[in-house]
Amino acid sequence: MQYLLKAEIRKLFKQSKTYYALGALFSIELLILFSAYYQGTTIIDLLLENLKQKFYFEGTLLNGNLLIYLILNTLWFHLPLILMIIVSGTLTSEYKDRTLQTIMLQPVSKWKFILSKYIVAIAFTLMVVALLAISSFGLSYAFFGKGDLVVYLNGLNFFDATDAIKRLQWSFVSGALSMVFFSVASLTIAILFKEATKTWIVSAFFLILSNILLKVDFGDNWFNQLFFAKLNDTWQYFFYYTINWQQIIFNSVLSLIYCMLFMGAGIYWFHKKDIG
Amino acid sequence: MKKAAILFLFSILWIGLSAQAIDEDLLKVKNRLDSIVSFSTQLKLEVDISFINMPVKKAQMFYTKGKKVKFSSDDFVMLPKRGLDFSLNSLLEYSFITVDRGMEQRNGRSYKAINIIPTDKRADFSIATILIDTKLRRVMESEINTKKDGAYLLTFLYNSDAKVLPDKVTVNFEIEKIRIPINFMGKDTQLDRKKMKAAGTKTGAIYLTMSNYQIKSVLYNRYL
Repeated sequence: MQYLLKAEIRKLFKQSKTYYALGALFSIELLILFSAYYQGTTIIDLLLENLKQKFYFEGTLLNGNLLIYLILNTLWFHLPLILMIIVSGTLTSEYKDRTLQTIMLQPVSKWKFILSKYIVAIAFTLMVVALLAISSFGLSYAFFGKGDLVVYLNGLNFFDATDAIKRLQWSFVSGALSMVFFSVASLTIAILFKEATKTWIVSAFFLILSNILLKVDFGDNWFNQLFFAKLNDTWQYFFYYTINWQQIIFNSVLSLIYCMLFMGAGIYWFHKKDIG
Repeated sequence: MKKAAILFLFSILWIGLSAQAIDEDLLKVKNRLDSIVSFSTQLKLEVDISFINMPVKKAQMFYTKGKKVKFSSDDFVMLPKRGLDFSLNSLLEYSFITVDRGMEQRNGRSYKAINIIPTDKRADFSIATILIDTKLRRVMESEINTKKDGAYLLTFLYNSDAKVLPDKVTVNFEIEKIRIPINFMGKDTQLDRKKMKAAGTKTGAIYLTMSNYQIKSVLYNRYL
């Protein structure tokens, strides 16, 4: 298993598309950062429009913390799309190059092989989110400094700079779990479809569908609570004035269960299917 | 007959003039406040508006006679447009008349109620009612009806009888509920028009606590 993991890591970092994807991600991040700066001015003007009649404002809300929050809002769509392409590519390229058949001719267990792919995919996803978090904090604070954060969720919520940093860090942790879910799902889709283009189309469709369903209100019932698409904005729960930890833990555990289910199904299908 | 006509004209003029004279108690308070050359104080601000969640904020306030009040803070703070003008300058800046409204009771104590009505169009309020503690020569409450920003009710609290500058101020005001476009900033922010219409105007309050006053005055501090 150890050798399989090492081999998978080597394969992932040897393929050029991994670096293209990482380059694309950081370019998107930079682009979001600077567009968020201009968007931020409009947002603050709009949020504080009514209050301007009654109050003077001292200090600025257009700072690094607001920009990180705006990055987070945009990032959770672009990031899984690129992660899904890289992660599913680790398997589809093996089908295409027929290296999979070569590996399977060796004394390698099928389930161990695919499990190692899942583990490396999860580790890679976590690493990318961590890098993006570090660069988001670093760039935002370097250019725009720290300050209070304002978020509109059931009213206007203002957070002190120190509180805002903690909430943003937690939301990256929570968002990472959603990214892991999409990476795992894309690898399972790759097992089902084998071919790269089909896998990417289905993965993109899955992501778009999840985003659309996230916005649909199914009412206050169990389906709305348990449906996987509804778990992907758990990171936003950190921006309610009072953090509902119980709900966040529940959603996170449920996300992990969905990850395990997708992974289990993928391992089962890979084990059952012929390599060819 | 001629004498009676002159007497009548004189009495009419006298009534008119006395109605436009500025209340003496108000002038006493104003003079006492005007003796302050400058002051600085530490402000603690607590916001109580139904649709705003904000932690307690701190700021430093600087006042110099004849200049605009200045504030500084490491945080983002919202300062009410009314309630921090302890000098009464914003009310008495342009020409005005006062009307004595008699005595009013607050917390078992009687205060003199005075209407301030601006006679200059440049004034940004239409009428203000202030309650004055005539014995201690200080403002206890003021209700200001502004031309553009609605009405404000300010309540002043003092820690001791000698003080002219308040230690606590409560600012009550009306504020419209915030309107955000569809799906703007965060989850569950869809525009609910029915809910918004029902919400209408809200009342809000801001509680200001002042501490560590540093006052420069032409009078001794014990008179402040």
